[in-house]
Parts: sequence; structure tokens; C-alpha cells
Amino acid sequence: MARKPRHTNVNLAVNLGGLPMKNPVTVGSGTFGAGMEYADFVDVAALGAVTTKGVSLNGWEGNATPRIAETASGLLNSIGLQNPGVAHLKEVELPWLAAQGATAMVNVSGHSFDEYVAVIEALEDAPVAAYEVNISCPNVDAGGMTMGCHVPSVEKVVRLCRAATKRPLIVKLTPNVTDITEIARAAEAAGADGVSLINTLLGMAIDARTRRPQLARVVGGYSGPAVKPVALRMVWQVANAVSVPVLGMGGVSCGTDAVEFMLAGATAVAVGTANFANPTATVDVIDGIIDYCEQYGVTDVNELIGALEC
Amino acid sequence: MLYNESAPILANEEAGCNIWLMTVAAPQIAAAARPGQFVHVKVPGMEGHILRRPFGVYAADAQAGTVDMMYQVLGFGTNHMTSLAPGDAVEMIGPVGRGWQPSANCKKALLVAGGVGSAPIHPLACQLAAKGAEVVSILGAQTAEALVARQRFEAALGCAPRCSTDDGSFGRAGFCTPLVQEALDEAAAAGAPFDYVACCGPEPLMKLVAAMAERAGVMCEVSLERRMACGVGACLSCVVDTTAGKKRACVDGPVFPSTEVVW
Repeated sequence: MARKPRHTNVNLAVNLGGLPMKNPVTVGSGTFGAGMEYADFVDVAALGAVTTKGVSLNGWEGNATPRIAETASGLLNSIGLQNPGVAHLKEVELPWLAAQGATAMVNVSGHSFDEYVAVIEALEDAPVAAYEVNISCPNVDAGGMTMGCHVPSVEKVVRLCRAATKRPLIVKLTPNVTDITEIARAAEAAGADGVSLINTLLGMAIDARTRRPQLARVVGGYSGPAVKPVALRMVWQVANAVSVPVLGMGGVSCGTDAVEFMLAGATAVAVGTANFANPTATVDVIDGIIDYCEQYGVTDVNELIGALEC
Repeated sequence: MLYNESAPILANEEAGCNIWLMTVAAPQIAAAARPGQFVHVKVPGMEGHILRRPFGVYAADAQAGTVDMMYQVLGFGTNHMTSLAPGDAVEMIGPVGRGWQPSANCKKALLVAGGVGSAPIHPLACQLAAKGAEVVSILGAQTAEALVARQRFEAALGCAPRCSTDDGSFGRAGFCTPLVQEALDEAAAAGAPFDYVACCGPEPLMKLVAAMAERAGVMCEVSLERRMACGVGACLSCVVDTTAGKKRACVDGPVFPSTEVVW
């Protein structure tokens, strides 16, 4: 049976840069498809938003296998943004999400500045509540992280996307930079309504027995509980550096993790890698936030945002 | 429909040669499982390993509400699984995937299993035998002791599987591929060819068997294994190269028509 969060009198609604969310929990792009695969386990309409798998203009094949490697308390992946293209998303997944009553945030990818804009333009007549601009994927050769590491390209892509839509525009940042606050400020200055972080940390795993890398592409993106301290630190830094809201992610597996991100300054959180081990992780996280609020007398979840005492 | 069940362990014993059998109570999955499908298992006590492990269903008893899994001890996870006992429980998503799909009027099937590949083949043997199809089974393993599924196949089919062992300790010495070719040739010579071949085992074995079946003009399916994260079709970790592009081993497979696989 598809689970819903339990009833509460705590106000869970938040606003992420113009995106109203019924609770502060969405999913990490690429860990949840567009929700169809999880519909037997959780009511996708009960989530604050469903962030869909990164979509490009025409389909991408993605990388060779092996695409994943499990490491201590974490996971390396190099999927490479395999997706069937924006037309498929419009024909199949977005109507399905709309029929469920779910809030859709579409993660937008591209190999070039023009492609990001073209994807957004293609989606402007579709039931999309917000865009998440992916300038942080470490597993593609063009676009992705290559665009998100330098202030000029960040400003350019965000400005172009901003001009293409009035919908809430969240820019997803890579942690693989010297100073993430500089990138966040550039995104804000170029018109982002919010920033999301962190995308995965660049990492690698080696099989000593065969002397070969565990991933076909040698390096990949690291996620899971192991990255949570890095993610918390960056969310805290960015929340103190910009005035737009922050969508925090990186190892969120339970309600307490989510609360920690909110205390660090996040307005909402995304559950990513945890979905793989626990298909009801999203609803478990919402229930855990409710538990925390009720236990500590928090009547409005917005009270938690940036409430870190330090 | 996929279920996520907390499944109490009823038995967990070594069957031989580092190959273990685990029986769990998972009534919803047991009732829904079809031959060739798998379960995606979260093992307790190894939280630092954050992924589930996929195991082909060796047997699903809808009446008893039990699921049997066969596993070979290879890494940390399977090694840790040997320490579990009745009283412990695993968490199981299932039944997942596209199982074996012989044609509805399959009359004569050749089932080929290498090592623990015998697990997902076993329910197919039971299903085909129950439908009255003539079934020839071939099991290959490293040693006699590792032929852990031999008795169950004999019980299901009413005739002994043809076996090979790498060390010659039981059946034909060497790989099982010569037995496969002989079975195909015999059937053709007798004017009663097979109409279906199913194979699960090491990928080189499946590739060879697929080629033999293709030469003999017999439809063949294989069950593929890939590193897997979500196990429900969302993450795109476990993709397989096919003639129709990349497909997911978890939900588009694990069983694929052999002619679709780009080896």
C-alpha cells in the first residue's frame, strides 16, 4: 500500500523561491525517476514536490556499465544522465504526475547553453511547478558540472534560463568547487529563485584484486550518508551567503537528517540515495520531521529554517 | 505490484561449497512471484553497506507464504548473511522484474543453469513440468558438492538433470556446454526439437548457449545480472545493452530474449 505521511497539526508548508510545497521534502533528481517506480510504496502526491530525473532535449544514452559502486556508507554513480528526452517526459511522466495530484519540479540538463533554454521552452506549456537547473552533474563531458564550476558560465546559463521562464528557477550546485558561496551568489545575481545543493562529490573506487576502477567511467559522483557532513557545511555556508532559499540534500535518510539541514538554513530537503535502500524513505523523512516538531513544540516547520544556534 | 515486506528468516543453512539457502516468510511476495523474478533484499546488521542485494527467487510457496533464496558467499554482504538465523528478519522488495516467458504452448524445453544460476531456473522447471511440457535440465557447477539444486530439479521434473562439474567429481567433467549441444542435437535427430531454451549462469555460458540455440533455431531466454541500486527501475544503474538500446536489468529484465542482448 502506498504510504502517506501521518496526520499532524504542525504546519509543514514551505515556500521554495515561489514554489509552494505542502511539506519540505522532495527527492534528489535521478533517484526517483518521475515517481512511477515508487508509486506502490509512497503516495507521490504527498511529497512537497517530485523532482524528476534530469532531462535533455533529445535522449541521452548515458555511460557504460558498471555505473555504480558501493563504498563505506556511500554510493558512487556514473549514470551519465541517461534519459529519453523532453518529449517523452511531456507525453508520459508529467501527465502521470499531474493525474496523481503531485507537484512536479523538472531537473533540466543540457550539453550547451542553448539546450538548457530549449528544454525549458519545450516545457513551458506542461504541468511543471518549478525547474531545477542542473549545472552540477559530474558524469557528463559537456554541460553539467563543467558549466557549474565557473562564475561566468553559471551567470550565463542562469540568465538565459531566467529569460526563458517566469516559473520558479532553482539552480543545482556542485560541491566540487573551491568556494561554493561564490557560485551560489552568481546564480542568485543572474536571477535564480533558489539554489539546491549538494550534487554528488567527485570520487572513485578501485578493485585492488583486478587493479581496475570499479566504474566504467573511472570516476563518478559520491552520495549517501557518508557525504552528509560536507553537505551540511555547504548548505550552512550558502544559506549565510545568499538571500534566496536553499534546497538542501546529501545523505538525508531520516527526519532528524532533514531537521539538521533546515537548522543549517535549508528551506526544504531532498531525499536521494536513501530511496534505494528504503522505498518509503520520503514519507519516513516527513513523518520524522513531524515527530521532531511535535516532540520539541515546533508548531510551524518554518521556525526551523536557519535556526542553528551558533 | 511490488511489495516491501519485513520477512522473518525461517532457515538459513549451507547447502554445500559456500552456497547457502535462506527461507523467509514473505506471504505477499510468495503469492505474487512468477518464475524468473527476483527479490531485492535489505540485510540487517550491515548498515554501512547502504544498498540492497538482488537474489533470484529459488522457490516461492504461495500456500506456506515462504520464499527461498540461494546465495553464494562472495563478498561482505553474502558473508554477513551467513550469520543470520531464525529470529532475524530481512526486508524484501518483490517480486521484481520480467520473468521467464516461454510460449503458452511450450512443449519441450531445455533449461541450462551454471552455478547459482540454478536458482531462478528452478521455478521455471516446476512451472513447465506442471503444464506437462517435456523438460530436459542441465546443471553445471565446480564440484559435486556445489550441485546443490540437483535433487530439487529431479523432484520437480521426475528425471535427473544432466550434470557437469569442472573437476569431474560428478557427471561430465568440464563445462556444461557440450551437454547443451548434445541435447539440442539429440532432439533434432529424433525429430522432436526443443521449442524453448532458458539459461542462467555466468555470462560467457549464457552467450554460448544463446548461440547454440540460435543455430538450432530455438527461442532462447537468458537471465542477466548487473550491479543494481534501486531495483525498481528508477536509478538506471543496471542497464543492459540490447538491440533496442539500453534496458534496465531490474524491471525490463532480468530475463531477456537472447537475440535482444548485445553480448
